This record gives sequence, structure tokens and C-alpha cells, in this order.
Amino acid sequence: MDRLLAQLLPSLTETLGTIVFIIVATALIELIVYLVIGRIFKSRHLLVWMLIAPAAVGLAILIVYPLLWELRLSLTNMSLRRFGDKAQYFWVVCAAGEAPKGLAWLTECLFKNYADVFRMPVLKQVMFLPVFLRTVAWTGVNVFFHVAGGMGLALLLNRPMRGRGVYRALLILPWAIPQVIAVLAWRGEFHYEYGYFNIILTQLGLAPVEWMSNPLANFTAMVATNVWLGVPFMMVILLGAMQSISGEYYEAAEIDGAGGYQQWRHITLPLIQPVLTPAIVLGTIWTFNNFNVPFFINQNELESSDILVTALYRAAFEYNRYGFAAAFAFVIFILLLAYVLIYIALTGTLKESTR
Amino acid sequence: MKPRTMWTVLSLLVVGAIALTGCGQALPTGPMTIRLWHQEGEADNAKQYVEALAAAYTAEHPNITFEVTNPGDTELLRQDFQTAALAGTPPDLLWTVNDHAGPFTTADIIVPVDDLVDLGLYADGALAAVDLNGQHWGVPITSGNHLMLYYNKDLVPTPPATTDDLLAMTDDLKAQGVTPLAYNQTEAFWLVPWLGGFGGAVFAEDGVTPTLNTPEMVATLAWLKQLKDEGIVPPESDYPGADTLFQEGKAAMIINGDWTLGAYKDLFGDKLGVARIPTVSATGKPPAPYTSGKYFMVPAGLDEDTQAVVVDFIKFATNQANQLDMVSLLARLPALKTALEDASITADPYLAGSADQMVAGVGMPAVVEMRCNWDAMKPEMLAVLSGDKTPEDAAAAMQSAAEACLLTLE
Repeated sequence: MDRLLAQLLPSLTETLGTIVFIIVATALIELIVYLVIGRIFKSRHLLVWMLIAPAAVGLAILIVYPLLWELRLSLTNMSLRRFGDKAQYFWVVCAAGEAPKGLAWLTECLFKNYADVFRMPVLKQVMFLPVFLRTVAWTGVNVFFHVAGGMGLALLLNRPMRGRGVYRALLILPWAIPQVIAVLAWRGEFHYEYGYFNIILTQLGLAPVEWMSNPLANFTAMVATNVWLGVPFMMVILLGAMQSISGEYYEAAEIDGAGGYQQWRHITLPLIQPVLTPAIVLGTIWTFNNFNVPFFINQNELESSDILVTALYRAAFEYNRYGFAAAFAFVIFILLLAYVLIYIALTGTLKESTR
Repeated sequence: MKPRTMWTVLSLLVVGAIALTGCGQALPTGPMTIRLWHQEGEADNAKQYVEALAAAYTAEHPNITFEVTNPGDTELLRQDFQTAALAGTPPDLLWTVNDHAGPFTTADIIVPVDDLVDLGLYADGALAAVDLNGQHWGVPITSGNHLMLYYNKDLVPTPPATTDDLLAMTDDLKAQGVTPLAYNQTEAFWLVPWLGGFGGAVFAEDGVTPTLNTPEMVATLAWLKQLKDEGIVPPESDYPGADTLFQEGKAAMIINGDWTLGAYKDLFGDKLGVARIPTVSATGKPPAPYTSGKYFMVPAGLDEDTQAVVVDFIKFATNQANQLDMVSLLARLPALKTALEDASITADPYLAGSADQMVAGVGMPAVVEMRCNWDAMKPEMLAVLSGDKTPEDAAAAMQSAAEACLLTLE
């Protein structure tokens, strides 16, 4: 007991220190906001300011500051030889030497890393565009199966039956397992000698598959794992939406002679649309940025299985191209931002909720 | 313990500690935690050994405790240490492989150890692998870390001396339902010995210019592909996969490192054989695995007290008694000269076999350029094995990738 306490105590005091710091800092922020907004500007919205302030400061420290730091990093030549303080802005380098003029100054000095993302291999052999297209394919296939699978299961569960709670609990189980653990377990199942799939295939008299070294097989393994992980989320969301639809619509439809498909097409689908759309947007972004599945299933580090985020990780932490990786990260960020803006503009999703 | 006795013990300990450090700096007496990062695994008991060493030191110096962490594996240790150093929160001591010295010195995040300990006590071969720019960047813990051939005497009475011997014996083994040979096919570390056997090397004479697009590399890749195509090795095998096949008797031989000798000895007893990797018949040359060892590396920017404790711990961990302890527990070759000459090593057939293979090895380059070579070789080697590229194309791609990588270092 004493030993346990001795081991726990340092971490407990560390945690406690952090909590105390957060409380004191929050109080301090509130005090400053109160004095500045309330006393000096005498604003009517003092309460609003005070409620928003801690979150705003937190976001600024945790998101805005790293983003600005990253932006700065993306304009430097940081690598192993120019590590930390030794990194320099490219424009400094160019100003010192013979700086090229015009457009070349942009691509060779200021935005050299950004230009490199598109004109050099982002990993060892593979260029940006193939990785991007693969990421789009990966996202598309996954989200399709997530929605289709989730919808199918939700429809099955959305009717009176015995043991519905049990089925639902079993089906959302994948969601309850920490993702990395689940993915590593799946990787084990794709093992050539000892994996579940190859054992089944051999029992059926088929040839075992080289899941780890064959590019297509590895990609398939990634998709299979991620579909298994992603379906429960869609199922839970869609089931929730379906259960909020009043039964009267279906009764009326039945009286009018509508079949199952027509009911689904003209009642279920339109009425779950407000839930479905954000779920798809979220699912797309999560899948696009899914790191665990492509990284861990791709044990052999095949470049043919890397999507943008795993390529980004390798560029930064395996190949030490820090400045380049920062620029690469911004390119990915801009792509996602564009996707979200276009999607929102096309579907008008947010208009409803902000009204 | 009565207070008086405790004081006596404590003061004895303090006197002892001062005597141990000799004329060096006195150790701090206040409580202190040393964060030690290592990359040893649990399976061969090495992780437990590191933890036991730290606990033994704490027993002698109760004010000093350790936080012993394995960030995951060797690669993760390198990545995490670089990131932690950048963030200004590096650990206090590293236990790792020699080639990390390359990136770490390039990034200026470790310090040379020449002035910290008496390097004259350690084996020259082990020191050479951390000698960069005329300074040494690690204190050796073990010598070797080389690959060699282990064989199961039940299945293979005499180990193959040449690759022709190996090819000749495989049909028989396959007929018994046994995979003749297993090895970790996912890491280029297992390619390097064969490259040496075919007469190639990853660097030119200058030690920094990659020479990967060579006939020797093409021959090496073709040989690895042949091993796979003829069913001599499993179609797909990572480290644990190969290890399990050998341990379960489903593979007759395995190419694995000296680090696992202790575990195999415990498992197989007399049935275990240790030999050199078969000589390449086409060239008559023995494969040349990389040799290095495990090293203590000291992060830059430690305060004086911490550095004093860290150095004292290094001396403690590599003293004669602990080095011989390590030999008996892990069956790894020690780095301390006096320990290497001990009878417990010269009289042991396994350790003698390991030492014999080590002689045929070449020191693993520690220069940062080696990272480019590793990163360039791995994907292309895998592409050849999966049949996506010819050995010729892969060798050319390796070279261009390594050259591109060198540019990104600048």
C-alpha cells in the first residue's frame, strides 16, 4: 500500500498542480475581463464576455498558437541539420545569397516548402497527387460502407423485436474498444501464418493472401478494418434519427399503399436528412484524417497504403523534414477546409441551425 | 530499523557514494528522479534487466529513483527523443543503438562522453561504432548486436556452410512440413548481411555516399526474392512471426540477433545451434552483419547534478559485476574489456559462436546519412519481395531515394 502510494503521489501532485493552475488562471482571466469589459467599457454583454473568455483563451493557447507556430515552421528550412533554433526562414537564406526575382522568389524562397509538396516525392517515391487521390478513394469507399452498413443495421433495429437492446449493445461494441487496440487486434488477424483470414482461406482450399506486402490486399485490409470500426457510429446516429420519426407518417403511407422501399425513400430518408448530412460531413473528415487504421495496418510501411495524414507523419517524424511537413500539413488543412465550405454551401446545412 | 542504525547505514552509504565517485563530483543528496528511456523488449528479459539495474542503483542511493520507459521500439525512441528534445523536455538518459548517434549529433541533442567516463575500459570494436567527428557519443553496454544463424538441431544436424548447402537441404525440410529458414523480412537490417556476402556495401569509401544501385545490391535482392519464391522462407514474415515459427519448431533455422540468444538457450537447451550465416556460394564471401551494441547516450542540456548522477549510474551499470550479470541473464557479449576476457564467455559454446559471427561483421555506420539508406532500402526491398518491382528497378529507386533524402538533410 505504501509503495503504491509512493508511486502514485508524484503523479497525483503533478495533476493537482495543473488543476490548481487552471483554476487560478481562469479566475485571473475572469477578473481581467470583468475589470476591462465591465468597469472600463461598461458593456451590456459582460456576462457573455465572461462566459466565453476562458474557452477563448484555452482555444487560443491550444489551437491558434500551435497553428501560427506551424505556419512559421512551414516557412523555414528546419531539418535534422537545422534543428530547433538552427532553423532559418527561407527568405532569410535567399536574402543573404542571390535572391531569384519574381515568381521564382515565391517558389524558391518564401513558399519553397509549399512548392516542394507538389513537385517532389512527399515520401520516398510517391508524389502528392497519387497520395491525395488514394485518400479520396479511401474516404469515399469507407464513408459509403459506413453509411450503407449503418443504415441497414439501423433499419433492422428500428422495429419492434425481442432482444433489441442486446443486439444494439453487441453492434456498438467496436466503438467501445480503444481504436488502437482494435486496429492492432485486426492486424494480428491479417497475419500470414497465424491470422484468422488466412486460416479460413486455407481451410476453404484457397491460397492465403499476403495482407502485409501486397499493396491491394493491404489497402483492402485497411478498408475492412475501418468499415468495422465506423459502422456502429453511423448506426447509432441513424437509429436515433429514425426513432424520432413519428409512426403516423408510416401508417398514413401504408393506407395510401406505399411499399417498404417507397416509405424509406419518401419518409425515412428526407426526415433523417438533417442528421445524416452532418454525420456524413463528420465521417468524411474523420476518415480523411484517420491515422490509426492506415498507420497500424500498414505494418510494412508500404507507400502504396499511405494516405495524406500518415504520409505527413512519416515526412515529419520518420524522415525529419520538419519545415516541409508543416507546409504539407497546411495543404491538407486547406483541402479539408475547401471540402467543408463547398459541402456546406451545396447542402445549406448550417443555414437551418443558425437561424 | 532503529533511528540510530538507520543513521549509521545512511552515513555509510553517503561515505560509500563519495568513495565510489572518487575524485569526481559529489552526488546530490536530495531526492531526484532520473528518466531513463530504453528500447529493450520484454520477451528476451532485457526490459526487466534494465529495470532491475535501475532498482539496484536506487537501493544503493535511496534518494535517487528512476522512471524507466520504453517508448515502444527503437524507431519510436528516436522519434520521441527528437520531439522531446525539441520541446525542451528530453529524458535524462538513453539506452539505445549506435546509429541513433547520427541523427542525434546532427541535431545537437546529445553530448560526447569522452570527458564523462574512462572510455579506455571498453572494447574498441564497440567504441568505434559511436565514433563520429573524433568524439564518442555513447558509452557501450554490450558488444555485438549482430545477426547470426540459429538452428534447431532436431531438424538440422549440421548447419549449412554455404548458400548452396542451404538450397540443397531445403527440399528435405519442406517435405517434413517445416519452413527451412525464417527471418524478419520487413527490415533492411536483415538485407545488409547478404549485401556484404555478395560483395557490396551501402556506402562508398568515404562512408557517406550511398552506393545502392550496384550489381551486388541487385544480386542481393534477387537472392531474397529467390528465397521467398522457392518457399525457403515464409511468404510473409515480420519479427514476431519469424520468431514464433522458430520457437514452435515450424522453422528449422532463423537469422536473428545476438539479443535473443538468452531466450533461445532457455527454450531449446542443447538442441540450439549457433553458426555463421551461410557463405554466399556465388562469391565465396561470408555475409557481413552489422555489429554495434547498446549504448548509453547522454542528452544535451542536463543540469550539473543530474549529469553527475547519470554518469555515476552509467559507471555502475557497466561495472564488472553488472556486466557479467548481464552475460549470464541475457547472454549478450559485454562491452567492458575485462568482462569480455572472463572465462564465463570464452568457455561458453553459444557465446563463442556469437563472438565468431561478430568477427565476420562490419561496424554499423552511425552517420546520419545511414538513415537515408535505411529509409531508401526498406520500401524497395519490400516491393521486390511482393513482386511489384524487379531487383534492377528497385536498386535504382533505392539510390535515387537515398540521394533525394540527402538533399532534404541540408
